[in-house]
Amino acid sequence: MMRFLTGKGVFGGSILLLVIATALFAPLLVPETWATQMDMRARLSGPTFAHPLGTDQLGRDLMYRMLLGAQTSIMIAGTAVLMSLVIGLPLGVISGYFGGWIDNVLMRLVDTLLAFPALLLALTISAVLGPNLTNTIIAIGIAFTPYLARIIRGEALRVAQMPYVEAARSLGTSHTKMILRHILPNIMPPIIVQATISLAFAILAEAGLSFLGLGTQPPDASWGLMIQASRDYLDIAPWTALVPGAAVAITVLGLNIFGDVLRDVLDPRIA
Amino acid sequence: MTYLVNRLLSVALTLLLISLITFMVTNILPGDVAMVIMGTQSNPEALAGLRESLGLNDPLIVQYGRWIIGLLTGDWGNSLVFKEAIGPLIADKVVASSLIVIMSMAIALTCAVPLGVWAAVHRDKWQDNTASTTALFGVSLPDFFFGIMLILLFARYLGWLPSSGFVHPADDFLGAVRHAFLPSLALGLGLMAHLTRMTRSTMMSVLGQDFIRMARAKGLRERTVIWRCALANAIGPVMTVAGLQVGYLFGSIIVIESLFNFTGMGWLTYQALLNRDIPLIQSTVFVIAAVVMLTNLIVDLLYTLVDPRIKLS
Amino acid sequence: MKRREFLKSTTAIMGAVVMTGAPLAVAAEEPVRGGTLIWGHSETTQNLDMHQTGTASTGRLLQNVHESIVSADADFNIIPNLAASFAQSDDGLTYTFTLRDDVVFHNGSKMTSADVKYSFERVMNPETGAVNFEVFNAVKSIETPDDLTVVVTLGSVNAPFLSRLAENGAGVVMPAGTGDIQGETPIGAGPFKFVRREFGNEVELERFDDYFGGPAYLDKVISREITEPTVRLTGLRTGELHMINDIPLDRMSEFEGNDDFQTVAWFPLNWDFVNFNHTFEPFKDARVREAFDLMIDKETLMLGALWGQGSTSASPSFPTSASYNDAISQRPQDFEKAKALLQEAGYGPGDLKIVFKVTTNYPYHVDSAQIMLEWFRAGGVDMTIEQLTWSDWLSQVWVDKDFQVTMMNFFTLWEPDFLYYSLYHSTGGFNYRKISEPALDEMLEKARVTVDNGARMAIYKDVQKYINENTLDVILWFRNGTIGAQPNVMGLDSVVQPNGSEMNFHKVWLKS
Repeated sequence: MMRFLTGKGVFGGSILLLVIATALFAPLLVPETWATQMDMRARLSGPTFAHPLGTDQLGRDLMYRMLLGAQTSIMIAGTAVLMSLVIGLPLGVISGYFGGWIDNVLMRLVDTLLAFPALLLALTISAVLGPNLTNTIIAIGIAFTPYLARIIRGEALRVAQMPYVEAARSLGTSHTKMILRHILPNIMPPIIVQATISLAFAILAEAGLSFLGLGTQPPDASWGLMIQASRDYLDIAPWTALVPGAAVAITVLGLNIFGDVLRDVLDPRIA
Repeated sequence: MTYLVNRLLSVALTLLLISLITFMVTNILPGDVAMVIMGTQSNPEALAGLRESLGLNDPLIVQYGRWIIGLLTGDWGNSLVFKEAIGPLIADKVVASSLIVIMSMAIALTCAVPLGVWAAVHRDKWQDNTASTTALFGVSLPDFFFGIMLILLFARYLGWLPSSGFVHPADDFLGAVRHAFLPSLALGLGLMAHLTRMTRSTMMSVLGQDFIRMARAKGLRERTVIWRCALANAIGPVMTVAGLQVGYLFGSIIVIESLFNFTGMGWLTYQALLNRDIPLIQSTVFVIAAVVMLTNLIVDLLYTLVDPRIKLS
Repeated sequence: MKRREFLKSTTAIMGAVVMTGAPLAVAAEEPVRGGTLIWGHSETTQNLDMHQTGTASTGRLLQNVHESIVSADADFNIIPNLAASFAQSDDGLTYTFTLRDDVVFHNGSKMTSADVKYSFERVMNPETGAVNFEVFNAVKSIETPDDLTVVVTLGSVNAPFLSRLAENGAGVVMPAGTGDIQGETPIGAGPFKFVRREFGNEVELERFDDYFGGPAYLDKVISREITEPTVRLTGLRTGELHMINDIPLDRMSEFEGNDDFQTVAWFPLNWDFVNFNHTFEPFKDARVREAFDLMIDKETLMLGALWGQGSTSASPSFPTSASYNDAISQRPQDFEKAKALLQEAGYGPGDLKIVFKVTTNYPYHVDSAQIMLEWFRAGGVDMTIEQLTWSDWLSQVWVDKDFQVTMMNFFTLWEPDFLYYSLYHSTGGFNYRKISEPALDEMLEKARVTVDNGARMAIYKDVQKYINENTLDVILWFRNGTIGAQPNVMGLDSVVQPNGSEMNFHKVWLKS
């Protein structure tokens, strides 16, 4: 545990805590309507006492939108990564543990999917399903699954070849027991690291999809949607892009730093 | 030799799978191109006729077969909104996109390698922290956000570079580079950050190896040790990662080309998706996936050539 | 700006073109020939067949390529164009057009009565899929006694026949036999020849030296399709573009009174309305539609979404045309009354769950929807927004009629028959809301056979009253059209034509 307490670890961890706390508590402290409340007399206003981070083109307070947008962005990214884990974990474990033709077939499929850039895949899926919150999650979740499946399979393969696993196998332990007792616990650390990094990419992907109009729908606040709305007003009201842009950058930064530290701690082989 | 044959066979199989997935996904897209062609004057009867004449009413398996045979025989069909043969259209756009992919790769590598080496040499000192933090910011910033900032700075305020459009290198080389510069920079940032991190960690592991200690013991100058001995050994993995990032770049160009009105593959794909130009979507998605896969193959093969320690297995 | 003041300032430019930034002293300068004008066009052109296309974006470009048999002056009197003269028989059934004998098409052939007959028959043929095919509904025969005479005989009176030929491409004459290629390579008799188009990116036009109205000044016009307003604006500022249309509404104030640029504003460019699906259960009840209308504060919405670049109106008729009914007015916002009406119709607070489909093709529609959503929610309606791309909007709303509430704009048409018949008749070509009101159908059919213009216009005033009283749609406003240009682009006052078409480059020239 002490190994987290490096300067970097504390920095990354606190950013992350801050973002998660915002996502969790902002909706409890700030009424939802504050993010959609319009003030036609203060449109595209710069930072003022009433609006510390300025307002957007409809006079909505950017601070509230950013705070409440945290929940949307984190929720979409988190659920999407969770979804790709739920699909990718069994795929990867089965493939790596059993090997043979199952592995061949599954990994052929995964490799094929990996040839499609994740954003292209997410974009196409989103276009197929139609734009709304659930579909955005599904699109990002599916697009990320092959990456996680590939990594999990590699780890499962490595662990399956460990002497103690071989030993357990020769004792006739059932497959289910083998996977639950020996494989899963041992592949968890690298998966957690990978999931953290995927989370960072998922936040960027949500922003990218919303930016192209295929993600979160207005008037809900999400960071990507805020950046999209700011496009037309960039040169006269740059803060409309800077506020959500900074929120995305800081969150992803926190996740990346935390992911680095996690890797150093949990997965010393790579460091 | 058998390795190569096996590898090529597997590529062919994957390409077939790619085509199948592409076809399946595009055929469940809502909306249809007959509607797009007719626009506001659509009416059910005319639409039905148009669908029939476009072959949209045939069974899916027939449509897939027609498409695959066309792909193999070089007849890629016509784009329904561009009203042009898809083959030459895509070839044209691939040239445009190659320009920014190559330029962004060049920008990324020229910055990332020295920065990564610098960071590795000064491990855990301020130099390392600066380089690593910069790189972390780089991977954390959405590329379209960076692109927006570049337009504002270089086109709007400084007026040094054009903010949109594509110029063909054969028509005006300097103009082509000028138009491609901002999108390349926007694309290159994330890549640079990624490669800096990669160079740093590879250099660190190389610098810890025995032959470096030996070189130092032999009295070679530190500069020679780092740039000649260490970097020569670290560059292989860095180049591999760079090659593998082509896939990432081909994802990013969709957003970046749309932002800069740069008419390459990403722009074409986005137009095709927006307009439900199904034949075009199929072909662009297929080509992008194929390019990504072939680049990975080439990187793999080159790697085995460059580094004889890797067994062909 | 207070409402009254605002209305005053917009009435001043009603139907007129207002220019700023252009130094008046240069008005007398002699035009010079040559140069390529680069225009940043706000929209993507679609099907290039002028007979088939219904989109304003494509018409805007193509009216440089094509000419109509007749045209209209600023007071909407029909004037000669390709026809040197025209006459109407006393019974209103026979129209005789005498053609100019100096009209040459871009393919080198001379225009004859055969080309006119071909074009009219092409529009008439339902298989062509022309937006204006119903203009020729009553036509019995088209005869060509000689090369320069065309006689059109109607089976029954069609009062708006002549004026509809002057509007929106219905009377465009194409060389005989070119129908099949018009969609990709339009050929007409206009001042510019079509050279090429790269879909979604660029169109190139070239001066046609044999134009019957005298050759244009510009060598070439390149239209670059840049839908992103900021990019268009940056292009104008950096000099990459000579001119742009549709300055983002919120940015007009930056350009007005700025001597580095010229601006042209005209009114009205188009009009907007909120639509209900009349086959969706709740909206079958006029009380529910009225309740929604009562929740919208039109003036605030206009200031919010259009940044004041428009003017609210209860009628979609062209504001300076004879059919405009100024006796009707928009309902003021009244939540209490709206809630009461909903309650009466059987919907308590939260009972109605409505999806508002809006296309990202018009960013100000997305803003409008977001503003209205606040009001609808305040009125106890649970509403969500779904953003659709243009092609998805067309497919879901326009063709499949799969929507509950949506919003659209149409270009302003001064001929009321086209406007009201296509939008409000139960069989109308633009009736995507599935409106079916027998009383309204009857009025619209009657107007078609009413030869006396005064009586005909009176019927259209009743039509507007009917639409307003029954809240068939919520008519919102007329929106201003805008152009921004470099100071060296001359002749901008001719860009907007009296017949409602915009972006005509015949008299535009570049000062070196």
